[in-house]
Amino acid sequence: MAESKLKRTQRENHKRYKEDVKREGKPFFPYAMFHDTIMALVVVLVIIALACVWYFTAKHAKDGVGALGPLTSAKADPGTTSFVPRPDWFFYFLFYLLRVFKWPDSVFLGTVGIPTILLVLLIGLPFYDRRTERRLLRRPVAIVTAILVVLSMGVLTWKGAIAKESVGAENVQFVPAWAKKQGFEDNAKAVAGAKVFASLTCMTCHAYLGAGSSGPGPDLSAIAKGGRGAQGFADYVAQPSKFGNNVMPAFADIGADNLAALGEFLNASKGATATKK
Amino acid sequence: MAPKSARRRQLEAAALYPLDWVEERTGLVGGIKYFLFRHVPRDTNWMQTLGAATLTAFLVQTVTGVFLAMYYKPDPQNAYSSIQHITHEVTLGWLVRGMHKWGASVFIILMFFHMARVFLFGAYKYPRELNWIVGSLLLVLGMLEGFTGYLLPWDQTAYWATAVGINLNATAPFLGPFLANFLQGGAQIGPDTIARFYSLHMLLIPGGLIGLIVLHMYLVVRLGVTSPPWSPTAAGRERPDESKPEGARQGLIRSGDGQDEGH
Repeated sequence: MAESKLKRTQRENHKRYKEDVKREGKPFFPYAMFHDTIMALVVVLVIIALACVWYFTAKHAKDGVGALGPLTSAKADPGTTSFVPRPDWFFYFLFYLLRVFKWPDSVFLGTVGIPTILLVLLIGLPFYDRRTERRLLRRPVAIVTAILVVLSMGVLTWKGAIAKESVGAENVQFVPAWAKKQGFEDNAKAVAGAKVFASLTCMTCHAYLGAGSSGPGPDLSAIAKGGRGAQGFADYVAQPSKFGNNVMPAFADIGADNLAALGEFLNASKGATATKK
Repeated sequence: MAPKSARRRQLEAAALYPLDWVEERTGLVGGIKYFLFRHVPRDTNWMQTLGAATLTAFLVQTVTGVFLAMYYKPDPQNAYSSIQHITHEVTLGWLVRGMHKWGASVFIILMFFHMARVFLFGAYKYPRELNWIVGSLLLVLGMLEGFTGYLLPWDQTAYWATAVGINLNATAPFLGPFLANFLQGGAQIGPDTIARFYSLHMLLIPGGLIGLIVLHMYLVVRLGVTSPPWSPTAAGRERPDESKPEGARQGLIRSGDGQDEGH
């Protein structure tokens, strides 16, 4: 009953709208189209201006990084790299959600769960907000929700933008301290593995003795307790998907020597407490 | 004077002949006339140009994208060097690439602004629900364009962002690993990945975008543009003073579950 009343109001409102527009409205051309054309020109000019600032400041900068970033970074290199993975800016909020949900059980929420729920809520909006009221001050729930959504997206985007991922070159300096704490100073292969670990992208997803990133991967300080053994760790890192891990990238490209060293290093990582013997 | 006006009539008939010819066979001229001279509410404002602005950014992407595709080579050996060639050697190549790169961000920002405008105006409500859904799908497809396009320069930024992105897809239950495998064209990012992303980026997703944009604009023209809700002369406003048939008035007053009355 209420449903049919709502439908009748909606239809009457729209009929009245159509009549009003026909009687009182202005033709799209030239009036509205004039504004649209000016706006279109502004958009094209802004895009051209961004392209010019990006190109000319980068071209004349000594390090090739202009006001809007470099023209390109170095050529893609799947093997050795200490590159910090970072998505385009409009995915920063998703990128940061991964840090909110910790590996491994709830990471699925951040990668797929929450985005799917948000998308369903977005698409379904006209179906759960069924009132005919359009004025903002009479839509308190809508206005509060909108403010919360904008704020949280803004904060997540900003946090994603400034999230500090450690850079390989900085992490290598920790290696001697790690070797001392973990007690593998005299194991040359493990020390070499620690250097590989520090200079690859490992620490953008993993923490190690307080350094690196706390997510989405687990803290590896005491990973040896898992008891995989040096060879087991090397195999795991080479192709994590073989072990049911579909999140971590494969590192088979870094070569057998690096993998073996890395395995030795992980197998020597018994947690800082192990040094008290 | 008489001969001159006869000649003028002839000229006009000659000029209009192609239009009449097309109109007789397609009806398109009438459609365009309807599109241009349809009425919109008198009180539409600058916020309502955001849709046209978004469309403009999309057109910039298609035009610059066509030119980039003439020089870009979608395989791991040549992708990076072809981007370098476009940026540093091709005449105005830097401008075309720069406009495409930055136009993408402008396009996404404008989609969000346009969506915010529609939300603030309550313009997603009856009878425009479907157009809100079409718009939401356009936003998703636009972001997928961003994701697939990001890999193509084949530099470190591109490669590692995509490696992480694909691995995040893989965490989805059931379909995730298959989707990741499909996107990569194998167990790892390689030659097939770049070709797949290129194909999605310039054939499948833009095709979907263009189709949905046409539907989006058709619905805008059919359903009309909303007035700003605060406007005292908004089209479709209720007029308590106007004498109306008794039944219609009562229907209006009783309806809306107590939300719409009293203003």
